[in-house]
Amino acid sequence: MSEYKAVKVSKGPNGWGGPLVIHPTDKKKYVVSVTGGGIHPVAEKIAEMTGATAIDGFTSKVENDEMVCAVIDCGGTARCGVYPKMNVLTINLTATPPSGPLMQFIKEHNFVSGVKEKNIEFAEGEAPTSTAATATEGKSAQELKTEARQKVAEMNQGKTKKKANILERIGRFMGGVVNIFYQAGRETVEQVIKNILPFMAFVSCLIGIITYTGIGDLIANVISPLAGNIVGLLIVSIICAIPILSPVLGPGAVISQVVGVLVGVEIGRGNIPPSLALPALFAINPQAGCDFVPVGLTLGEAKPETIEVGVPAVLISRQFTGPIAVVIAYICSFGLYS
Amino acid sequence: MDFLVKLAEGFIGMFNEGGETFMGLFTGIVPTLLVLITFVNAVIRMVGEERIFKLAQKTTKFSVLRYSIFPVLAVFFLTNPMAYTFGKFLPEEQKPAFYDSAVSFVHPITGLFPHANPAELFVYMGVAAGITELGLSLGPLAMRFFLVGIIVILLRGLVTEYITKRMIKRREANA
Repeated sequence: MSEYKAVKVSKGPNGWGGPLVIHPTDKKKYVVSVTGGGIHPVAEKIAEMTGATAIDGFTSKVENDEMVCAVIDCGGTARCGVYPKMNVLTINLTATPPSGPLMQFIKEHNFVSGVKEKNIEFAEGEAPTSTAATATEGKSAQELKTEARQKVAEMNQGKTKKKANILERIGRFMGGVVNIFYQAGRETVEQVIKNILPFMAFVSCLIGIITYTGIGDLIANVISPLAGNIVGLLIVSIICAIPILSPVLGPGAVISQVVGVLVGVEIGRGNIPPSLALPALFAINPQAGCDFVPVGLTLGEAKPETIEVGVPAVLISRQFTGPIAVVIAYICSFGLYS
Repeated sequence: MDFLVKLAEGFIGMFNEGGETFMGLFTGIVPTLLVLITFVNAVIRMVGEERIFKLAQKTTKFSVLRYSIFPVLAVFFLTNPMAYTFGKFLPEEQKPAFYDSAVSFVHPITGLFPHANPAELFVYMGVAAGITELGLSLGPLAMRFFLVGIIVILLRGLVTEYITKRMIKRREANA
């Protein structure tokens, strides 16, 4: 029977990993805050809720096997891998996915990022005991020791809080901004490599074959009468929006994208006037998301009954709004590229 | 033998052509795309989800804003597919209409803000490649695609809301 409580730490907005359950024991009783001096409020809150002791990792050394968890603010270079590698539960205040040279050690069961104070809660089955109840309990020597340590920690904390001068605040702010951009850049490069480049390769291959072999002329014979005038575009949009067809044509917008490329090639070759690009964009795409209605509604926390009604409602609506969108786009294309 | 050589040359020529197209797309699109998406992603992180939630909720009361500004905010800040989670701010009968509206905007937005749907860029980019080929600027097309997109999603939202309400009524009458 220990006096320590377990808390659950979940990831914050944009965060990764977790949730982690932090349960200090007599041996592992230090929450180490490695956040550029001072004890971070998150570390403080964990310590307060669990009954463990918060320690500033920059000023005092704690053995790895005495840490119940480490609170860090690493933007994804070195520190965020160090503690997971040493088998210490790691709470990163910065919203970072696994990265850095030690990223192979960062796993969902030992790392959680983007954590804010509100992401900390008591683990299931652990009610917050009132302080009065704790006070009436007899104190063992062990408890007294811990309490003393806590008091010392509090005192230190008071000191470090005073130290947070304006220079440090500016430094932290700048660090924060740089960090955000760095994260955004990392995320973007990943997106480009995973999502954009593969499709680009596929499209290039397609265009290469079309322009080199002369299949282009053949395709032009099919596409130009359809995409080269408003009546053809209307017919395309009506067909694509048929409620039985639209969910089949939808997935990943692959068909829209391929047709988009074909239309683009024909515009480039002069077979379709450039002003028709606008209505064409709507004509080839009345089925957008028709395959995804139940999932999309679930994401919006819709009830099952709503989903049952919603799927046909969207599909039927498209049959009307698909062609109307083409007409609107056609009217709005007057004066474009002329 | 000559025939075989020609065949081989033709075969590889097809992919040289594709490679050139790829190089054109790569150098023409990717650098700007990387910088632009990085910037927008950073701005989104700085603004923070909670502020967007607050702002978005204010726009849900009036049907004209509900199917224009609201889905635009959702798609811009949460991107495809997380944008649809904004449906939770709406009553049940408006959820399908919101989804319809939001999902119809994930392509019109890509002309100006490719970060919102990077996996499906080529609906717009495929067509746009032809415009570039003709030596015309893409600005007018991207802008009009965006604006017409807003008109279309408003219309879709209103029509789908109407249909959803009628279907719910009919179902209640039958039950």
